[in-house]
Amino acid sequence: MKNNYGRFKIIVLISLILLLFAVTLQASAGNTLYVKGLKAPQKEIKGAVTDQQGSPIAGVAVYIRGKSSGTVTNLDGQYSIRAVPGDTLVFSYLGFQPVEIVLEQQDQLNIQMEEDISSLGEVEINAGYYNTTRRESTGNISRVTAEEIELQPVVSPLQALQGRMAGVEITSGGVSPGAASTIRIRGTNSLRTEGNYPLYIIDGVPISSIPIESSSLLSQPGIDPLNNLDVNNIESIEVLKDADATAIYGSRGANGVVLITTRKGADMGTSLETRLYHGVATVPARLDLLNTEQYLDIRRRAFENDGVEPTENNAYDLVLWEQDRYTDWQEFLFGGTAETTNANVTFSGGSETTSFRLGGSYYNQGTVFPGDYNYRKVTGNINLNHQSRNNKFNLNLSANYGTDLNNLVGNVSFNANTIFLPPNAPAIFNEDGGLNWEDWGAAGLDNPLQGFFNNSTTQTNNLISNIGLSYEFLPGLQFKTSLGYTFYNSAELRNQPRRSYNPADATTNRSSHLSANRSSWIVEPQFIYKESIDKLHIQALIGATFQENSNLRESFQGSGYASEALIGNIGAAEDIINASRGNTEYRYAAVFSRLGFDWDKKYFINLTGRRDGSSRFGPNNRFANFGAVGAAWIFSDENFMQSTFPFLSFGKFRGSYGTTGNDQIGDYGYLDAYEATRGPGGLYPTGLANPDYSWEINKKLEGGIELGFFKDRFRFSLSRYQNRSSNQLVGYPLPYTTGFTSVQANLPATVENSGWEITFNSLNIDHDNFRWETSFNISLPKNELISYPDIEQSSYANTYRVGHPLNISLLYEYTGLDPETGFYAIRDVNEDGRYDYQDWVVIHDRNREFYGGLSNNLSYKNISLQFFLEFVKQEGSLTSFSAGTISNSMVEVLSSVDGQGPLQQISQSLASRTASRNALNTIFPIRDASYVRLKSLSLAYNLPRNLTETIGMRNAKVFLHGQNLITASSYDGLDPENPYSVAIGNLRTITGGLEINF
Amino acid sequence: MKLHKFNIIVLLLIAPFLLLSCEDFVEVEAPDNKLVQDVVFSSDATAKSAMIGIYNQLFLAAFSNGERSSVTLLAGLSADNFRNINTTNIVRMEFEQNQLVPDNDSNLDIWSSAYNTIYMTNAMLEGLHNSEAITPELEMQLEGEARFVRAFTYFYLVNLYGDVPLILSTNYRENQLAVRNPSADVYIQILEDLQIAMDLLPIDYINEERTQVNKFAATALLARVYLYLEDWEQAETLSSQVINETSKYELLSEVNDVFLANSKEAIWQISPIGGGGLITNTNEGSIFIIDPIFSFFAAIQLEEEFVEVFDETDRRYINWIGYNEGIDAYFAFKYKIWSSTEFPIEEYSMVLRLAEQYLIRAEARARKGDLSGGIEDLDVIRERAGIALVSESNPGIVQQELLDKIFEERRKELFAEWGHRWLDLKRTGRAEEVLGANNPLWESTDLWYPIPAEERMKNPNLSQNSGY
Repeated sequence: MKNNYGRFKIIVLISLILLLFAVTLQASAGNTLYVKGLKAPQKEIKGAVTDQQGSPIAGVAVYIRGKSSGTVTNLDGQYSIRAVPGDTLVFSYLGFQPVEIVLEQQDQLNIQMEEDISSLGEVEINAGYYNTTRRESTGNISRVTAEEIELQPVVSPLQALQGRMAGVEITSGGVSPGAASTIRIRGTNSLRTEGNYPLYIIDGVPISSIPIESSSLLSQPGIDPLNNLDVNNIESIEVLKDADATAIYGSRGANGVVLITTRKGADMGTSLETRLYHGVATVPARLDLLNTEQYLDIRRRAFENDGVEPTENNAYDLVLWEQDRYTDWQEFLFGGTAETTNANVTFSGGSETTSFRLGGSYYNQGTVFPGDYNYRKVTGNINLNHQSRNNKFNLNLSANYGTDLNNLVGNVSFNANTIFLPPNAPAIFNEDGGLNWEDWGAAGLDNPLQGFFNNSTTQTNNLISNIGLSYEFLPGLQFKTSLGYTFYNSAELRNQPRRSYNPADATTNRSSHLSANRSSWIVEPQFIYKESIDKLHIQALIGATFQENSNLRESFQGSGYASEALIGNIGAAEDIINASRGNTEYRYAAVFSRLGFDWDKKYFINLTGRRDGSSRFGPNNRFANFGAVGAAWIFSDENFMQSTFPFLSFGKFRGSYGTTGNDQIGDYGYLDAYEATRGPGGLYPTGLANPDYSWEINKKLEGGIELGFFKDRFRFSLSRYQNRSSNQLVGYPLPYTTGFTSVQANLPATVENSGWEITFNSLNIDHDNFRWETSFNISLPKNELISYPDIEQSSYANTYRVGHPLNISLLYEYTGLDPETGFYAIRDVNEDGRYDYQDWVVIHDRNREFYGGLSNNLSYKNISLQFFLEFVKQEGSLTSFSAGTISNSMVEVLSSVDGQGPLQQISQSLASRTASRNALNTIFPIRDASYVRLKSLSLAYNLPRNLTETIGMRNAKVFLHGQNLITASSYDGLDPENPYSVAIGNLRTITGGLEINF
Repeated sequence: MKLHKFNIIVLLLIAPFLLLSCEDFVEVEAPDNKLVQDVVFSSDATAKSAMIGIYNQLFLAAFSNGERSSVTLLAGLSADNFRNINTTNIVRMEFEQNQLVPDNDSNLDIWSSAYNTIYMTNAMLEGLHNSEAITPELEMQLEGEARFVRAFTYFYLVNLYGDVPLILSTNYRENQLAVRNPSADVYIQILEDLQIAMDLLPIDYINEERTQVNKFAATALLARVYLYLEDWEQAETLSSQVINETSKYELLSEVNDVFLANSKEAIWQISPIGGGGLITNTNEGSIFIIDPIFSFFAAIQLEEEFVEVFDETDRRYINWIGYNEGIDAYFAFKYKIWSSTEFPIEEYSMVLRLAEQYLIRAEARARKGDLSGGIEDLDVIRERAGIALVSESNPGIVQQELLDKIFEERRKELFAEWGHRWLDLKRTGRAEEVLGANNPLWESTDLWYPIPAEERMKNPNLSQNSGY
């Protein structure tokens, strides 16, 4: 085992020696290359730099390509620099297209710079191991840039992406800050939920996309591993989708790849950027529930209809409780206002050879739940880039550090128990602030907010760092290596004080402790070779990956603390129980290569391949090969096209096919392993080992067309994809005589995800003062379980159906209201007198039919307006549609008072409750739950430049931002984003702020 | 151009090296909280832990833990000692009314937990067999213990289901298609395992506890197996060996002390510590005792017809049977602790005890025709219970009468322990007569539990018992 490290060290050492050796060689060889330029005499060049409107631009970097001298324009846009004829002057400034001019004999050179409209050719797209452009890309890569996400008041950058990318479906983890969102890129590929996470890569370093375990309020979705990134520090997020783009990630690319690139330093000059915003967030929706009068009326009718006398036992709300009390439980539970504050400071600068960026941020979000709880995050980041004067050697260092402290209320959440409490129920608290047990106890109930004084504190620390070194040996041949290191620690303490619980219970002051550590390192040496032969351009890349992840998890519980103040101080605990500790290690090694060819920048072929080895698989199956081929044809560059369709400025066909894999299964599944028994001193075998299981294979096929009209003012793209995941890794069911129920094995089950994706961008108006840009995306996905041999005999028999999507509900058949009882009726299909899974004959698809987003950017002089609409077409289910029992209902039930309408008779009987529970599992409650949401809206005013300059600022901006402002939907549930549960996805937030740059 | 060549040579040299190094790199060691089988059996300490693990798991395994899917409860319901209070619990009602269906969940629990236990013992035996590292003395002891637990588990499988697959390896590829072996073959294996266990196990308990088996545990179980196989000679010889070990075992005159941890009457017990110490009461205690206050938790009461079998002066009636006035119900009160988290643990779950050995010998002797010997042993039990001795009240008892007395005594002595009544009714051929009398739904095929439906879905080679 030690041998591995030994070999690994040798590789690193060899790489470094090679690099240093080459640097020296090249340095001595390179000196000769610069001699000829020195012959002509230097002279001073002067000029001014202006924008399209003629206003001077200050701070523009002006330098000579290949030399060390450079300067920056002053407040009037003036510069002067010494140069010789034949030198190339470069003008560069963020947000404008760089200008390069070869000097002739002139002394004066005035430059007008054009704003950088993200047009096809220039913007570089991060494709992971290499960069490409929209024009030349053969794969399908979606991109979101800083402008779209930086103002959004969210904790994890994933939340900022909702609706913005075709084929990328993101559902929020809820309103508690820090909850992990769910992301699915082109659908659900694996039968196992945990097998559907994409690969996250931050500045070239992969981090685990599996949510972090928590025992707090976030236990269900888990904690988002991207929380500690500063949303403001992200330059761009690319999502790789098709085979051509993802195959280079081999076994980890099956579910797509999310590449997050943080911001880099400025090219030239020094700048200080600051931004501050503050705002408030609230829960945007309420269910329309009955008030006390309506509720009690319904209840009385229920007893009348049933012919039952209300008593203290069956009707404590009518007999025992006050009849004129009213509490809006939704208001009580989540009616609070959460304050949100965000501050950022960034200092950046650079010379011709070195640039840096140093930033910090602070984010604070309160809670909408009762109590004083909040989420705080502090991040720091540094990016350093250095380049040798001859541009051959390059060093890039980036480090992102974040720490957050999430203080959450212990036991308050949205659920049917609390929202649907009778509106005349007694008070939750006594006058002294303690929980009221007496009034609830009189009805034989526990206080529904039992556990209210519980709270949890989760602190996490996260570092993601990377050093990239590259050296160009020869024109065209470059050696590059990246060395990455990450760690993530989380420490959680959950307090359960005695006073949270009924004094009659025999509990004590308790605490739960959970800590998780993740760390990883990665080394990726690569050679990159570029060559041009006539019109043939070749780009080759060969590299290797060595990666190791280690995880450690510890947890225990303490109980019997003498006082509440001591909770968590484990020395004061009477008993420590349920202690457990576990670690896992994962190693991954691969070689990969890419060969890109093009002829005349018109015909492109891209071949990628990867050979992967993962420690997650047994010794017989550690390695596998993945590969893809992508091709593109820019047909608009053909002469006949240009003459026939002059308005068509760009046209490209592209297609790709290839395989990727998925190794997201637990570590060590192949080991015949023993673990400690719960009882002391024992070991026991935990499962059957299968040394032969292997990767899930995902074959992706894609075709697309991209068009640009009228000099690319209108751009359109259409993609069709068809992905098949086979060799599904599942727990293969075994009879108990083998000792266990299943063994991890590959089954020839196949899941297909296919669909269409359309994007459209247009620059509607582009006048001097007024500019209006629109972009639109829509995805029409389809998911199907194509085959699963012997599914009837597997543990998935009552979860999935062959020929249908994975995300389905199996339902009873609703037969209307029973004419005799007036209650909902369902069909007993096999007529065995029982309603059970054998009667599930209706298959309901829970997937979105289509979804997408529409974004508009408008600017008029100094004012700009951005708004983004997210839309989804889907169905959802309502939960509360029967009336008469001891729980509140939607106002909709008032329609059943007179016995008309589709709802069942008002009743409190057991039969009616059973009927409504059964009806819940039919299509009866299914409604259209499509929605259009004004996801974000920003209004900004740029202070006039002449005003800001006089007070020494480069620019200043004030802005207002709204998040989740309006949702239009016919769905009556709490939030159509969670159409099958009573839950809110996102808060409505309104913020205002100021941005000042020096 | 020189440089160019140099670079390409370096590239060519380095590339295969990168490829080669991958192979070893992706090997990882097992994590701290897991031990690979080979490692477990590479040292005495860890091999011992694997055996302790089996004992610990017996407190969690459904068939042996005394809880809702245990042989103690379910086989008890199948016989005529218990009544199920919670009549909405269909799973239990099916046992009580002898109307089991093949997809009864608790039936599956018995089956699955028994085979999981057998897997653990097979893994233990394979591990010991493949290892050179274990001290020979310890290896003997561990093999004896594992064989004992395997035989013990098969004893219940063969008595509840009849023919069952005889699984003796951990190879799931073979075992997933196993057929049912004739019960005679299963018994041959049980006998072999227990005889080897008797030879290998030490005479003394390994520590002060009676939770790890010694030679006499194997002897006691073997005596029972021979009784079931109607080999009276062997049953008498073996039970005598246990009874004669008077320095270790004695019938406690105070019946309330019998079920205490490590009582001198115990031959083998299962400790609640196997649950990790969260609760320290036995599951029998929590499931049978009807708490005076929390009587709404009550699940099982004793049949009044059964309670009436006892004399009022019987110490077992006085001490081992409780009565709850609130719901007017008798309950099994052998274990006194309903709920506890206190240490030290006061009561262990009894599996084998000396009283049964006396009853085995009494029956063996009576069957052989040694009636006075049988009476003598029976009276040992009756004397302790404080009821009239047969030698005094009915010295001239005939064989069949004596056997009936012994069966009745077994019922009274061993109720609420490991389904003794159900197994006794079956092996003595009286089940139909006794249970069928009160149950119009009784069929002769109800003697055997069904092979679980889920199991037959996964293994097409498993046949079903008739009547299902």
